[in-house]
Amino acid sequence: MSNSLDFTFLSVVVRLALAVLGGSIIGYGRSKKERAAGLRTYILISIGACMSVLITFYEFEMFEGPWHDIAVEVGSKLDASRIAAQVITGIGFLGAGTIIKVSHQQVTGLTTATGMFATVCMGIAIGAGYYTLSITVMVLIEIILNVMSPMEIGFKRKLRNITLSVSFTGVDDISGITEVIQAENAVIYDIDVERTEETAHHHPSAIFILQLSPQHQSHTGMLTSIAELPCVYSVRELIS
Amino acid sequence: MLSLFDAFRDTSNLATILKLLLSVLCGTVIGLERSSKNRPAGFRTHILVCLGSCTAAMTGLFLYLDLKLPSDISRIASQVVAGLGFIGAGTIIVTKKLSIKGLTTAAGLWTTGIIGIAIGSGFFEAGIVGTVLVLLAETLFARLSMKITHVPQFTLELLYNEKDFLDQVLRFLKDHRMDIVNLQIHTMEAHDTARYSAKVELRSTMPEKDLLFHVQHMRGIVSATTL
Repeated sequence: MSNSLDFTFLSVVVRLALAVLGGSIIGYGRSKKERAAGLRTYILISIGACMSVLITFYEFEMFEGPWHDIAVEVGSKLDASRIAAQVITGIGFLGAGTIIKVSHQQVTGLTTATGMFATVCMGIAIGAGYYTLSITVMVLIEIILNVMSPMEIGFKRKLRNITLSVSFTGVDDISGITEVIQAENAVIYDIDVERTEETAHHHPSAIFILQLSPQHQSHTGMLTSIAELPCVYSVRELIS
Repeated sequence: MLSLFDAFRDTSNLATILKLLLSVLCGTVIGLERSSKNRPAGFRTHILVCLGSCTAAMTGLFLYLDLKLPSDISRIASQVVAGLGFIGAGTIIVTKKLSIKGLTTAAGLWTTGIIGIAIGSGFFEAGIVGTVLVLLAETLFARLSMKITHVPQFTLELLYNEKDFLDQVLRFLKDHRMDIVNLQIHTMEAHDTARYSAKVELRSTMPEKDLLFHVQHMRGIVSATTL
């Protein structure tokens, strides 16, 4: 039975090394982009996830060998997947912590959180010695997280739904801005006034969530028509 | 269950790769629809969740079917449900106006995770049908629920600088037998004068334009828009 386990000193070293390799391949691209979770974070969680499975394998080996008599006497309730399962809950907490509410009612760090989640799942597969799975997943995560990232931004720049952050002189200017937007045949879903007081460094600002008309020009067209208003200080498209 | 999939339910190399690719596909389909609405979770996020859950479920299968270890085949996958719940909690924002944003995103990510588990376990039927249903819910049902709630209903966004302006509006709405569904008022201090903003959700008995016309001629208005 324990033959299929392939639990030797060599296999432990090989799996942990593979976990480091996987973590560093994924983490390298992330730290180049200066994301919250960088190279070391991914390596650490990958090693940890891998080790969680190896620990259960070790316990299982001991139950078969030196601890056999006690296991028979007391009865063992070993479940090979218990530690690994809790690793996934644990990474959920870490992931939730990476999500930051930036201003403008937007969140960042969601991709980091899910990237860490997927990396941990890969680490568990490595620890179990499920090599086909772990290597394929490693390649896929690398493609999704790092290669596909420019694709996603390009995709979002072509959408009809856009979110704009506009800062202007006074709250009264909002009606002027909405008129410009409606003149372009765009539908306004929501306006959120963020700041109403004018200080030396901050102007009043609002978030506009709108949908461009089907035959409408580019996002930049809408941005420039709003920016042309004299009361507008700045217009920024928010891409989450 | 369909016998078509029977060859791919286990942990063979071919099944492993097929499951992973299918989970990427389902994640992409759901994610593209979500991100086309410019929601915070893009398609990469959805693919990662689907792929990760699929991996977790398959590892559970591998421990039991291949290594024949005493183990609970679904335990690893079960914790995905909890773990993604935490990540989803992080995406929910309470805005200044005390409304909640991001709940659909969180729910969508969580469901994508469950679809990943179904695929990883080899339950392709549930995974594929689930993906289709999620898409339906997001597109068809979204429109339907808009129709249910929005037949004659819309939100009037008002900015004004005299307190009794709102009274005028409310009296006007009452006179014309319009129901107010929701009303939010905010006071903002700007330029030494107090300013108020109000969002009035209502069921209107007159066209938006006429309503706006009446409101714009009341004393104390700064601006009025309909959303």
